[in-house]
Amino acid sequence: MAGSYISMGEAHHRITEYLNRFSDAVSYQDVTSLKPLLSLSSNSPYLLSLADALNIFQEDSTNKLIRQGHNNNYPDIVTPLFRSFQNFRIAHLVDSYLAFEKAANSFIQEFRNWESAWALEALFVVVYEIRVLAERADRELVSHGKTPDKLKAAGSYLMKVFGVLAGKGPKRVGALYVTCQLFKIYFKLGTVHLCRSVIRSIETARIFDFEEFPVRDKVTYMYYTGRLEVFNENFPAADQKLSYALMHCNPRREANIRMILKYLIPVKLSIGILPENSLLVKYNLIEYSDVVLALRRGDLRLLRNALQKHEDRFLRSGVYLVLEKLELQVYQRLVKKIHIIQKQKDPTKAHQVKLEVIVKALKWLDMDMDVDEVECIMAILIHKNLMKGYFAHKSKVVVLSKQDPFPKLNGKPVNS
Amino acid sequence: MLKSKERQVRLGSRLLPVPTCTLLLLSGRNPKFEEKDKVDFSARFLNPPILCDMQVITVVINNHHRKLIKRIRNRKEDIKLQTPGGAGAGYNNAAGSYVNQNWQQGSYVNYGNNNQYASYAPEATAAAPTQQYQQSYNQWADYYSQTEVSCAPGTENVVSTGTANAVHSVPGVPGVPGGYVASNTQQPATFAAPWRPDSSSSDVITSVQHGAAISNVQDGYWKHGTPTFQTQSVGHVQSNVRTPLDSNHTYAGYQEQHKPVHPQGGYQEQHKTVHPQVSGAQYPATHQLPYNYYTSLQTVSPTVQQTVPQSVQQTASQNIPFDSRVSKMQIPTNPRIATNLVLGLSKIDKDNSVSGAAVRPLYVSVAPPKTNSEVTSHVGADSILKPGMFPNSLRGYVERALSRCKDDKQMAACQEVMKEVITKATADGTLYTRNWDMEPLFPIPSADRVNNEALQSSTPVSSLTNNRRSPSRRSKSRWEPLSVDKLVDKQPPHTPDTKYSGWFNQSEGGKFSAGRVVKENNWGHLKFTSSDPKVTNKVAQRPAKRQCLGDGPSGGDNGGGASSDSDEQSLTAYYAGAVALADTPEEKKRRESRSKRFEKARGNRSANSYSRPKTVGAGLYTKRTNALVLKKDFEEGNSRAVEDIDWDSLTVKGTCQEVEKRYLRLTSAPDPATVRPEEVLEKALLMVQGSQKNYLHKCDQLKSIRQDLTVQRIRNELTVKVYETHARLAIEVGDLSEYNQCQSQLQVLYAEGNKGCIMEFSAYNLLCVILHSNNNRDLLSAMSKLPVDARKDEAVKHALAVRAAVTSGNYVLFFRLYKEAPNLGTCLMDLYVEKMRYAAVKCMSRSYRPTLPVAYIAQVLGFSSVSSTAEPSDEKDIDAIEECAEWLKAHGACLITDNPDEVLLDSKASTSSLFMPEPEDAVAHGDATLAVNDFLTRVPS
Repeated sequence: MAGSYISMGEAHHRITEYLNRFSDAVSYQDVTSLKPLLSLSSNSPYLLSLADALNIFQEDSTNKLIRQGHNNNYPDIVTPLFRSFQNFRIAHLVDSYLAFEKAANSFIQEFRNWESAWALEALFVVVYEIRVLAERADRELVSHGKTPDKLKAAGSYLMKVFGVLAGKGPKRVGALYVTCQLFKIYFKLGTVHLCRSVIRSIETARIFDFEEFPVRDKVTYMYYTGRLEVFNENFPAADQKLSYALMHCNPRREANIRMILKYLIPVKLSIGILPENSLLVKYNLIEYSDVVLALRRGDLRLLRNALQKHEDRFLRSGVYLVLEKLELQVYQRLVKKIHIIQKQKDPTKAHQVKLEVIVKALKWLDMDMDVDEVECIMAILIHKNLMKGYFAHKSKVVVLSKQDPFPKLNGKPVNS
Repeated sequence: MLKSKERQVRLGSRLLPVPTCTLLLLSGRNPKFEEKDKVDFSARFLNPPILCDMQVITVVINNHHRKLIKRIRNRKEDIKLQTPGGAGAGYNNAAGSYVNQNWQQGSYVNYGNNNQYASYAPEATAAAPTQQYQQSYNQWADYYSQTEVSCAPGTENVVSTGTANAVHSVPGVPGVPGGYVASNTQQPATFAAPWRPDSSSSDVITSVQHGAAISNVQDGYWKHGTPTFQTQSVGHVQSNVRTPLDSNHTYAGYQEQHKPVHPQGGYQEQHKTVHPQVSGAQYPATHQLPYNYYTSLQTVSPTVQQTVPQSVQQTASQNIPFDSRVSKMQIPTNPRIATNLVLGLSKIDKDNSVSGAAVRPLYVSVAPPKTNSEVTSHVGADSILKPGMFPNSLRGYVERALSRCKDDKQMAACQEVMKEVITKATADGTLYTRNWDMEPLFPIPSADRVNNEALQSSTPVSSLTNNRRSPSRRSKSRWEPLSVDKLVDKQPPHTPDTKYSGWFNQSEGGKFSAGRVVKENNWGHLKFTSSDPKVTNKVAQRPAKRQCLGDGPSGGDNGGGASSDSDEQSLTAYYAGAVALADTPEEKKRRESRSKRFEKARGNRSANSYSRPKTVGAGLYTKRTNALVLKKDFEEGNSRAVEDIDWDSLTVKGTCQEVEKRYLRLTSAPDPATVRPEEVLEKALLMVQGSQKNYLHKCDQLKSIRQDLTVQRIRNELTVKVYETHARLAIEVGDLSEYNQCQSQLQVLYAEGNKGCIMEFSAYNLLCVILHSNNNRDLLSAMSKLPVDARKDEAVKHALAVRAAVTSGNYVLFFRLYKEAPNLGTCLMDLYVEKMRYAAVKCMSRSYRPTLPVAYIAQVLGFSSVSSTAEPSDEKDIDAIEECAEWLKAHGACLITDNPDEVLLDSKASTSSLFMPEPEDAVAHGDATLAVNDFLTRVPS
């Protein structure tokens, strides 16, 4: 209990002041003054001093204070909210979370009864606070060796809120914010399959145009759905969504841009679009620079090394498999290079690339692959339309088409 | 001769678990004693010269057979039953000793029995005993609930004769009726008078009368006497079971049941306490009785030679009540030699006083209640369903029906219904024509009402018994709300607590107040007694059922080869039955009644908990139940955290010694008697590992091992081994769902720091995710969760290489890895081979022009068993090429055979013609292992 000694009178004063502010904000439907009264984690001096006052005040008398006022005090909200403040102040985060959840439930109950959506902003605060508090409570639980389950509980609360908002009417505009908070929870918990129902409800609704949602929420939404598409290896869709997020996000928020690029770059790479190195440097995404270089050079070894070097990072962000699939493009580049060299030497026979030449080239790159394996890769390249032509098994020669033997992807994903 | 032999076979079958037993009874197979049993019991069938029509079994139990005592106890009834007719002396004596024990134990239940009988007996004195018992049964039927009785005429008699026998066993030496009766008449003269008002005295009187009656009859008597002893021991349970609401207490009941058998405990103690305080008149009474035995035995000395030694010994302990350190079970003397009984007795005494202490710990193992219940429930079936006359399908039907039963009531009720069904079918003549496999199971008869009554009336008994046993410990049980009073109030007003406390004091060592006893009316006793058998039966039968599902026919001994056949056969039948009871109304009803019972148990808890310090298992069990209730309370009240419960103290410690046990999903708290301790589980695992049986059998066994580990919360290397074994087996047969279960458990176990083949299973996990889940997120998380040093491991490296090959579609690499997969990786990859080959051929047909030799395809796609670089072994190659060609044709590829030596794939033509054929073994429900034909081959025909 930090802070200097507070007299009972001072404590009493602080508590009644809060109660008055709260009831005034609600009765005047003044969301801007309601918001700070709810934002627990903001660590505002006002709330901190309130928490101190509450901690020295008898709980009974606090409750009496809440009840003795008019009905506008919303005791169902304020009582657990006070308990949450108190516990938060003394860093009992799990208890704080539990109390806050109670308050939040009462709040959504009231919110449902309010005709207009005036308190939407306040609800956002509640939704945000409950998520952040749950994350911290879970950390506390883990440190005590217990199973963290509060974030999950927050998730189900958010689903409830989503249910309240998702209907017709003025409150719908808040649905996307809750959706994004839900995404954050689900991605954190690794239960992204739960996103699907929310997405369906957002994307199939005819009554409300997606564009009418706030830009902030739209960007977040696109970012997360784009990530989901990366998982599904649906690159064109991922490209579209992530690009939307990139285009609409606040250009001054570099961290956000970086987060978007982290997924957009691998997506772009796999549809054959390589970024400038300056971009990578600017947003501190240099882990991709070797990958990009390998693609430019057809250097299989470089690609593999880059993947190995940043394996942990790529695995965590979930782009490892996407990057690994770039291997075929690297092979394509390699054969293309051989083809170019052959063309310089002898243009008439350039379209026939001997298998042994490719094997030798790979050997120079320390890739120890035998003829069968390379033959297989050539077959795959042809099959996936990275190379036009055919393979003659008898003579062990790749016969390239004379027209555009190495078609560019140009935004199309590799055939699979 | 023949007759008695037949009986013996039947009796032998009683050792078997219930369904198997039914099966055997129906099939008429001879479930003879196992060779082992014979050795254990040293049982020999003699042909006594005097009573040539009857067989006597001599059972010698040596000291070094001590370990088998539990089992012997189990089978004691059977042994006795095998002594027909002429062996009556011993038999009766044994019965007498039972009475005495019960009496000395101070359990009024038996008094109740006796009283009841006493009031009845005079009428029937002259009548033929068979009839008499039948009548007495009829009277008893009012007291024993219908459920108990429902089975068959035989069982019905069991109940009545059981009590009857207990009562008048003293004089029951049919061989010498005259002299014996005389000695009997002496008994009341010497001591009955002071006891007259007491129930025990009437006891004796009755016995006299019946002694006379019995001596007339012999064969008829013994016929009914046969089942008697089973009930006799049930009677023991009756008197001792305190908590009829819960199967848990079977254990406790059993413990107590044992007590009188080994006199150094309860028996002696009681004598000590009773004697100093009992008035002079009573004192001789206790002694006179044994004395009479003694004399009677001497009179009948030629018969004694053939008596079952157990009973002899029991008599012996009666004779020497003061220093009876004799363990009755252990008779080192050969009864044939022991012509002079006195001599033999002293010998016994000496030997057993030594062995007695050592025997004690063996009590931990629990089984007898099972036998009891089996017997009671199946004697009936035995009597109607004569062996060998029923079709196999009926066996299955009966088994299915019985397998639904969750407790004794249902079991008994089911048997009743089944009896009707079969009788009806026999009458209709449809017994053989009806398709029993298709026959719908009848709804399980409700026994709720009876159940409730039984609960109400029996509760005080149990609580009192409890108090008697452990008054000091009661205060310790902090879980319990005190609701005994309420339950006691429900009792009729003329059975106040004090009365019972009189009895209770007697055994506990408190004052023996004769006056109170005198005041007692029989009525109250009867009330109690009547309710008890139900309770007993219920309690006793529950574990029996469980065991029957878990055991082979060999019952008592370690399930060896003998059990396997029917085991495997009935496995499928059992599962089929299980499906049937999935969500029927009966099942719902049962669930309801179960939950009701639970409610009641809560009220009763005060009586149960910490019942006895010695019965560790029972106490533990009770605690556990309480904790479960408590947990419920917590959840409702949300007041305290569940974590506050000390689960460690509540964990079941298994006592079952069977190595083999069938898996049955638990529907209630586990019973320690059917749970195997760790060392047995270890053996069980070894057995499964060395077993040659099919996967289904092994899977079943492993699941039961897993269950036992789980309920005992054993999480160590053994657990890891079990799961690893199961996972490997599952991989071998491609049972992915079972494998996944094991894998997820293993991951938790490894994470807890248990040693095992972590790398091997990390690799399996990777392979499984790569090849079968096809979910990128799972794959990513599996990869990121890999232990740091895992990437150096061969198996993990291999798995990662496979992943790379699959994601890039590199079929050459895939099949190379396929061939050199470590451990069981090949098995997992096997399941993906078809897909990979198809993708490869599709790729080839697009990329290669104009043709591609099949030989190459065969080599690259893993058809040939030799790798590409190996020297060609022609035959194999040709086989592989042919196989490959077949495969290609089956998938719609176009092959050209211009050159006789070489088959070529026409790649251009094949591009459009390739297709994935329907797998030949595909079934509509998608699981080939559930194929009907396969199923039918496993059903016993």
